[in-house]
Amino acid sequence: MAAAEARVLMQVRLQIERSDPASGETRLQLFELELRREATLLDCLEQIKDELDGTLAFRRSCREGICGSCAVRIDGRTALACRTPMAELVAGGRIPVIAPIGNLAVVRDLVVEMEPMWQKMRAVEPFLRPTSEPPGDGRETVVPPARLEAVRKEALCINCGACVSECDAMAVSPEFLGPHALAKAWRLVGDPREEENAPRLKGLSGEHGIWECTRCYLCNERCPKGVDPRDAIAKLGAEAFAAGVTRDRGARHASWFVTSARTTGWLRESELVVKTLGIAVSVTKIPLALRLFRRGKAPLPLPRHKARELEPARELRRIVAGQDRRGARGIVQGERVLARIELVRAPEQSLPEAEDF
Amino acid sequence: MYGLEDVESSHDVLVIGAGCAGMRAAIEAHDAGAEVALVSKLHPTRSHSGAARGGINAALGNAGADSPDEHAADTVKGSDYLGDQDAIELFCAEAPGDIYQLERWGALFDRDAEGRLAQRPFGAAGTPRTIHAADVTGHVLLQLLYEQLLARGIRVYEEYFAWRLVLDDGGCQGVLAWDLARGGVRALAAKAVILATGGSGRVYKGSSNAHACTADGMAMALRAGLPLEDLEFVQFHPTTLFPSGLLVTEAVRGEGGYLLNSGGERFMRHYAPEAMELASRDVVSRAEQTEIDEGRSLGGSLLLDMRHFGREKMLERFHGTRDLALTYARIDPLERPIPVRPGAHYHMGGVATDIDGRTEIENVFAAGEVACVSLHGANRLGGNSLMETIVFGRRAGRAAAEQALGKSGSPELKPSERSDGEREIATLLERREGERPKAIRDQLGASMHENFGVFREEAKMRRQLELLDDLRERYQQVLVEDKGEVWNSDLTQALELGFQLDLAVCMVSAGLERRESRGAHSRPGDYPERDDQNFLKHSLVRWADDWVDLSWKPVRITKWQPRRRAY
Repeated sequence: MAAAEARVLMQVRLQIERSDPASGETRLQLFELELRREATLLDCLEQIKDELDGTLAFRRSCREGICGSCAVRIDGRTALACRTPMAELVAGGRIPVIAPIGNLAVVRDLVVEMEPMWQKMRAVEPFLRPTSEPPGDGRETVVPPARLEAVRKEALCINCGACVSECDAMAVSPEFLGPHALAKAWRLVGDPREEENAPRLKGLSGEHGIWECTRCYLCNERCPKGVDPRDAIAKLGAEAFAAGVTRDRGARHASWFVTSARTTGWLRESELVVKTLGIAVSVTKIPLALRLFRRGKAPLPLPRHKARELEPARELRRIVAGQDRRGARGIVQGERVLARIELVRAPEQSLPEAEDF
Repeated sequence: MYGLEDVESSHDVLVIGAGCAGMRAAIEAHDAGAEVALVSKLHPTRSHSGAARGGINAALGNAGADSPDEHAADTVKGSDYLGDQDAIELFCAEAPGDIYQLERWGALFDRDAEGRLAQRPFGAAGTPRTIHAADVTGHVLLQLLYEQLLARGIRVYEEYFAWRLVLDDGGCQGVLAWDLARGGVRALAAKAVILATGGSGRVYKGSSNAHACTADGMAMALRAGLPLEDLEFVQFHPTTLFPSGLLVTEAVRGEGGYLLNSGGERFMRHYAPEAMELASRDVVSRAEQTEIDEGRSLGGSLLLDMRHFGREKMLERFHGTRDLALTYARIDPLERPIPVRPGAHYHMGGVATDIDGRTEIENVFAAGEVACVSLHGANRLGGNSLMETIVFGRRAGRAAAEQALGKSGSPELKPSERSDGEREIATLLERREGERPKAIRDQLGASMHENFGVFREEAKMRRQLELLDDLRERYQQVLVEDKGEVWNSDLTQALELGFQLDLAVCMVSAGLERRESRGAHSRPGDYPERDDQNFLKHSLVRWADDWVDLSWKPVRITKWQPRRRAY
């Protein structure tokens, strides 16, 4: 029966990246031990610390995916140790490698310095500034339930740092605010109780802000709570446009995509550079452009790159405009989100067949 | 991370622990004009308040007629008449205002169709009273209070492990803490100290509590000479996953899940033939424990069967529970029942305080699960503990600030205090031979279940005290294997074990003397009835000569005379 099976043991082997805080040297250490078959990676780390090596350092508390302490990299992929069944990691005799999360300095073993992440969170001033007066009756502000849905996912964030660990943009631009802080920013920008968002959006659209995201989607992919930080960044971008905050290069870059698709149905890459960077900076890119043209890596600016049929692209644009999906409400990002939107459709509304797309 | 200049520091108000109660206290003390800092062994948003799921109670009356008075009556009855009624009345009267303030700060509570705060029914409440944010209410409040902390620029000594209150004739001078990130003892002086370190669930092996819930504040208070109140009362939750102790939601039973013993029998028919699995938490926990004690369990667990729900209902309504079972028991509840047992969930007892969090030491305060106001008496109602962190966190913060602002000068810790602390740590670190904490911790956890679990009886409690004596003896030679300075959690976990052992002795001592059955304290073998004649009173435990001194104090009754508690 179940409880008896719970005590069946399994043999596991794993390698843990250890580091010496004094010298900064790192090495991989192999551990071999017997675990209960339902043990998680966190249980495994606990058992190593209790029985094999008391010097192993890692953070942990809730052991159920709520406190956000125990994010680690498992064979390169970030996950919560407490949500990772050991049996899956060692299936087929695999020896997983457990390492500290990325993009943050290692303090010791699996413990990283979280302070840069908190600094960025503080930088987005992560607290509500209600724009209306408190209700005269001293009770709650009345808010239509649907309006709060806009920030539901972002409010699930447990600050584990998995998104930061995986962020490609932070790897090359450490000052990028990053998916964690920006998801928090959307939690506030999207809250209907704070209505004057232009100043926040202006701040978030500057250097190292929302447009620095490279849209690799790894934050969405790895977030253990389904926060989908990349979607939050997209919503911030859309709201920035809606609020007329469009001066940043990133915003200009995005605008040009739309203009280009509308006018010729294709992306006109050489014009994109000028529209994004401005003429003065673009001039400095001419040698690079010439090399690209010569190798056939970029189309020549003339004749204009034009789609054979322009109408489908324009039709798509009309549909979206007709649905009044401006700003964050119009954002549909990534297949996982699409799947979720399909799910919440009213049941009587039959889904279109795949061929329709 | 802060610079080395902060090794010595002083504050008006120092809050130990940064869960909901600690942060709420710090915010209030700050707003009252005091200079405040928090000390926490975890980053604030890692605190165990975040695990509270169901909600927070206040008589808003949004989902049917309600009043603070009705809330109070439910709470008094739930407490099995051991709660102090002045504290309960004040709590219920102030709760709505606190909820509106949290909403104003940005709390993401669920709304009803009109856009007002939605309220759901909860156990033993006469009317839908529980405000909620899906099933992550504690998480949402924890993030909210952290936001408000940042809005005020309140300082947090993160990953500082406080382990000793420093006292002299004038009261408490501050605390000693081990700096986890850098290593080293930090002396933090303060005009007033608020304990908000949470509960003690990890004293039991099977507990819904986080690893961090190790009774730190209770033990620190005890060692500082403060009395702990009603420690014998521990709430057990009937469906915690075996063996991890993770909570399986009550909704599984609410929706018709079966509890089976080793013979595959729905054993609740012997204990609550009408209500069956839907009987109240304490009734189900006791039934399960009886089955375990009489040999009808599977190695100490019963089975929660959801197979008859079918795939559709399971995936739609119990996705989270199935995920929990798959991840932590490696069992698909669609195919097999999952192993559960009663697990320690909440400690009603704690540091004795008045309604402003004051303790016997003038400038030491306590709030939240670490404290005993007494709001919950012998049994806590679901949804009251989150509300308690807010109401009494706020009140303790206000009172501590007022007291600190009335004191002149700048508090200082004597250098000798710090060197005392350093010696204590050095002794632990320099020990080369001894016993690793694991066996002691495991034995503590298992024996507390065995001898001081759902049922208590004289002989078992006496046996437990003897065993604890032995464990505490062995703890004198506990071996910390990690000798390093940086992130030495081996050291702090050893200190935590010391807290737990001290607290366990006090819990069992209080339980032994309470010769009745009331709320969560159940003695079917020797004292099966509630005894208002002799035990309508709070137990108080103090540390005297490394052992326990027990006394009693009366329950404060305003308008609800004790009656038989039946639902």
